[in-house]
Amino acid sequence: MTVQEIVAKRGNARENLLQILHDLQDSTEGNYLRREDVEVLAREMLLSVSDIVGTATFYTMFSLKPRGRHIIRLCESPPCYIMGEENIREAIREKLGIDFGETTADGLFTLEPSSCLGSCGVAPVMMIDDELYGNLTRDKVGRILDGIAAREPLAAGA
Amino acid sequence: MKTVRTQILLCAGGSCISSGMESVRSGLERELERHGLASEVEIIATGCMGMCQIGPMAIVYPEGVFYQKLTPDDAAEIVEEHLLKGRVVERLLYKRATTGELVEAISNIDFFKLQEKIALRNCGSIDPEDIREYIAADGYEALGRVLSSMTPEQVVAEVKASGLRGRGGAGFPTGLKWQFTAAEKAEPKYVVCNGDEGDPGAFMDRSILEGDPHSIIEAMAICGYAVGAHQGYVYVRAEYPLAIRRLAKAIEQAREYGLLGQDLFGSGFAFDLEIRMGAGAFVCGEETALMHSIEGRRGEPRPKPPFPAQQGLFGKPTVLNNVETFANIPTIILEGAETFAKLGTEKSRGTKVFALAGDVVNSGLVEVPMGISLGSVVFDIGGGIPNNKAFKAVQIGGPSGGCIPKEYLNTPITYESLPELGAIMGSGGLIVMNEDTCMVDLARYFLEFITEESCGKCTPCRVGTRIMLELVTKICRGRGTMEDLRKLEELAPQIAKTSLCGLGQTAPNPVLSTLRYFREEYLEHIQEHRCRAGVCTDLMWAPCTNACPASVNVPAYMAYVSQGRYEDALRIHLKANPFPSVCGRVCPQWCIKKCRRGDLEGPLAVRLVKRFMGDQARDYDDLYPAKEAANGHRVAVIGSGPAGLTAAYYLVLMGYGVTVFERQAEAGGMLRYAIPDYRLPRAYVDKEIDGLVKLGVEIRTGVEIGRDITIPQLEEQGYEAFYVASGCGREIRPNIPGVDLPGVYTGIEFLDRAAKGEKLPVGRDVLVIGGGDSAIDASRIARRMGARNVTILYRRTRSEMPTNPIEIREAEVEGNKVEFLANIDAIRQQDGRLEVSIVRMRLGPFDKTGRRRPEPMPAAGEARLVDAVILAIGQQSDADALVDTTGGLEATSWHGVQADPKTGRTTRPNVFAGGDLVIGAATVVEAIQAGQIGAKAIDQMLRPAPRRQYLWEQLDPPEIVPDLDADVEAIDPTREPLLRPEERLISVEVERTITAAEAMREACRCLRCDYKG
Repeated sequence: MTVQEIVAKRGNARENLLQILHDLQDSTEGNYLRREDVEVLAREMLLSVSDIVGTATFYTMFSLKPRGRHIIRLCESPPCYIMGEENIREAIREKLGIDFGETTADGLFTLEPSSCLGSCGVAPVMMIDDELYGNLTRDKVGRILDGIAAREPLAAGA
Repeated sequence: MKTVRTQILLCAGGSCISSGMESVRSGLERELERHGLASEVEIIATGCMGMCQIGPMAIVYPEGVFYQKLTPDDAAEIVEEHLLKGRVVERLLYKRATTGELVEAISNIDFFKLQEKIALRNCGSIDPEDIREYIAADGYEALGRVLSSMTPEQVVAEVKASGLRGRGGAGFPTGLKWQFTAAEKAEPKYVVCNGDEGDPGAFMDRSILEGDPHSIIEAMAICGYAVGAHQGYVYVRAEYPLAIRRLAKAIEQAREYGLLGQDLFGSGFAFDLEIRMGAGAFVCGEETALMHSIEGRRGEPRPKPPFPAQQGLFGKPTVLNNVETFANIPTIILEGAETFAKLGTEKSRGTKVFALAGDVVNSGLVEVPMGISLGSVVFDIGGGIPNNKAFKAVQIGGPSGGCIPKEYLNTPITYESLPELGAIMGSGGLIVMNEDTCMVDLARYFLEFITEESCGKCTPCRVGTRIMLELVTKICRGRGTMEDLRKLEELAPQIAKTSLCGLGQTAPNPVLSTLRYFREEYLEHIQEHRCRAGVCTDLMWAPCTNACPASVNVPAYMAYVSQGRYEDALRIHLKANPFPSVCGRVCPQWCIKKCRRGDLEGPLAVRLVKRFMGDQARDYDDLYPAKEAANGHRVAVIGSGPAGLTAAYYLVLMGYGVTVFERQAEAGGMLRYAIPDYRLPRAYVDKEIDGLVKLGVEIRTGVEIGRDITIPQLEEQGYEAFYVASGCGREIRPNIPGVDLPGVYTGIEFLDRAAKGEKLPVGRDVLVIGGGDSAIDASRIARRMGARNVTILYRRTRSEMPTNPIEIREAEVEGNKVEFLANIDAIRQQDGRLEVSIVRMRLGPFDKTGRRRPEPMPAAGEARLVDAVILAIGQQSDADALVDTTGGLEATSWHGVQADPKTGRTTRPNVFAGGDLVIGAATVVEAIQAGQIGAKAIDQMLRPAPRRQYLWEQLDPPEIVPDLDADVEAIDPTREPLLRPEERLISVEVERTITAAEAMREACRCLRCDYKG
């Protein structure tokens, strides 16, 4: 969806800004808010660019830099921490070569820390895009990541 | 409507979905199809059932059978066995953790049985994606009733009368909020639901939104009618996409059914809802921040007043309630405020949902009546602490909350009682913590959380919490000072007072509450550089060494044993503990509770390796640490148990002239006269005491200080300092009739006489009263003396027995029985035998140790005829004569000597005391630690020198460097090589020493946590 289409769907009132930013980010390759889109959005919503950027940067889920196609959110709350969140983080680091805030070279995955995902009974947990994965072990993380990568269409030109 | 004979409720909560619930569902559907049952059996995907760690789970109705941990492969068995043949699949049943028994019906599982569900009433029993199921469960009836037969004022009055208070944390009366908003004239008004559940570990709001979204829609519409609002917003955090999807679907369905939109129920009242999704900001759970976020702005809080009721969303009057609060509303309307108010306490009505997590057997969501005791939630519903660990505290209320230690398990959970203890109800996160939790580290964790989540708008929160974090981190690293602690205590109340919003105002709470109850842990970190829980790695050599009271360098001697260098291994051991062969037989192994190998196949068999190592040397004459030149000072040690001998050992090594005075005929104390020889043959006691004598420790036996000679007289003879460790060797006799009859022994007396070779006429039937080591030992000795029926009566339950579970197991293997929750109240003579009156006990409220206090049942007891009774209910000391003749000493209530166990200091400057005499009956290794403390205290008194490092404080890295790149191969731990019961004759040790091959293999399992690279 283009910026205009999103604004048309949500309405250009200020109160819709967060939902518009979510839509915009979700429909942008690289899961982020592009500068040029933010400029268009500012005009459509009659807001300043700095106001929009200031709002977006307040929230951890918006990114102004390109990220992977899939966002891995690893829960860092105490129940997950106690159940071995650090091992999972290490398993991802070994498997994909990325740590918090980094993106794989093929642009497929970005790893981010997450606040409590509210699924403490199956800790440690992570969420990839909107899917929750619990009772994680090193092996299980490997299989999950392989599964997602296998479903990806081959990168253009490959 | 179609009729079905069976319904399978399958939990479709977010956690169960992540555990593979969808594939279980398709497996079941496939099997039902295959057996032609698809039309008779209905599968209903419900909301969260609450016990997420055993998902995916299902309940089969009408029987109500509960199945857990399902996989798609289980589907065939459930259909073929349960549905077709009517046989319950036992393999998939829930197993009661304490007893191991299988529980069939969900209604019999303690976790569910003790709950009272209002807010969660539909979670786990209806399909949240089908509005018809909610309607069938009386859904929207409350809204209908309100719109057709109540005025808005009546609705507000009803909510007020119910006593409902905000479940989001602060507990403001909900009815008052509604009344204030209703009274405002400005239009439009708004109803907002706070679903920004950010507290780590809390997930009841997610469960309600996912499992019963219509209850929120209905409640918000009722609220809208009551206050005059026509628009509502539900603010849900973006971390909960499933909740957002299900709520959106529910809103759509409600609109289709005319339950949202214009003219609801033909009343002319219009109400509609929108979802607003957050984007990752903890502070948005604060109400003013949340409203800014709904408005599309930065979610920063603002000062109050004005309150939302006057100027809320878009500056208009707004009611803002939490998800769980709203979920109560339909029930209050339908069943009446009065019914609701019957639950709970006077000021805290109704129920509260808690997310039970941490070190507890059953974790998950529980809804309990307000006023229930904390202990009941942890132990009755939660099933207690797993892995034989001790309960330490609960953390309640999330980052804004506090800890409550074991002394307060009887506290009723209410809005008033928790703040008195320095915690808050909060959003309902309840994290159970065992002895492995470091309270300073916990405070550090929450501070770190707060500094990351502080929005930065006000300085006290932004900068203040960061300074607090720096101070606490410093303490965790062992670099903290008392000045840091003072600063921390000064800063905390300032931040609480001056921060703008609830986040900052409550941010110091975790520090304040851990300081309130666990100040000694802060002091240990600062003054002793010790973290008793073994969490703060900067303060640790290795987790095992840290856990060992005597600080033995376990990884170092393991490294040497693994290479067959037993003498080097013993040298390491003897620096911290002169009794390897003794401890290799009797040590309860504090170390293995913290062994990191325990996370793999099981902890190291440290004691077995130690025993092997000790037994390799006939004596340690060439292995003891080098002795310093004589310094001319003379010290007297009173008592030749492990505490006294350890003190003497170190003092001799440091060049002191030491004489040990012993009341009994031979040295060794409890090692010789209490621990039976089937566990500890005397030859090993002799070997290790002889070694000390050869080293220069003079032992005078048969001398009792206070009777034969006094401390002032010894002073005249030139002794300058005294270490008193005369133990705890007198049995406490219960105050009941018949304790002086022939055939009635006390535990210590019985063990002492047995140790001296006396053959006691115990007869055939023996009753032992007590649950500690001496009770178990006495029971096993009695059997060895010919008793055939030996029964131990213990007044509490198995999990509370203060003895090593292995000893209980071995007593049982040998044929002895243990009866729990039993005591005696009289002994009479009857035809030459003893008639014992037995009282059955039950567990009452919690005592100060965090255990339930046993109390006698009112029913009449039973009488039992036996030949002997051994009373082993506890020990006390016998130091009155010593205290009376010394001057300047003070006795304890149990005839011991008052002293500080951390320094050994008494009220007389040149007398130090330790061991059982000071702390009560304990273990050999604790006595060794006491001896170290005593030796250090005396050395510092006689030759004051700052920062001298004592032998046991010197932790030397072994010469063997571990191969860090090698894969850790799974190796099963070595089991105790125990004799078969029929082989265990009198005086035969029941365990043998492992072989060299076994010892080396076991030592190789050490992960070398000491190695810092």
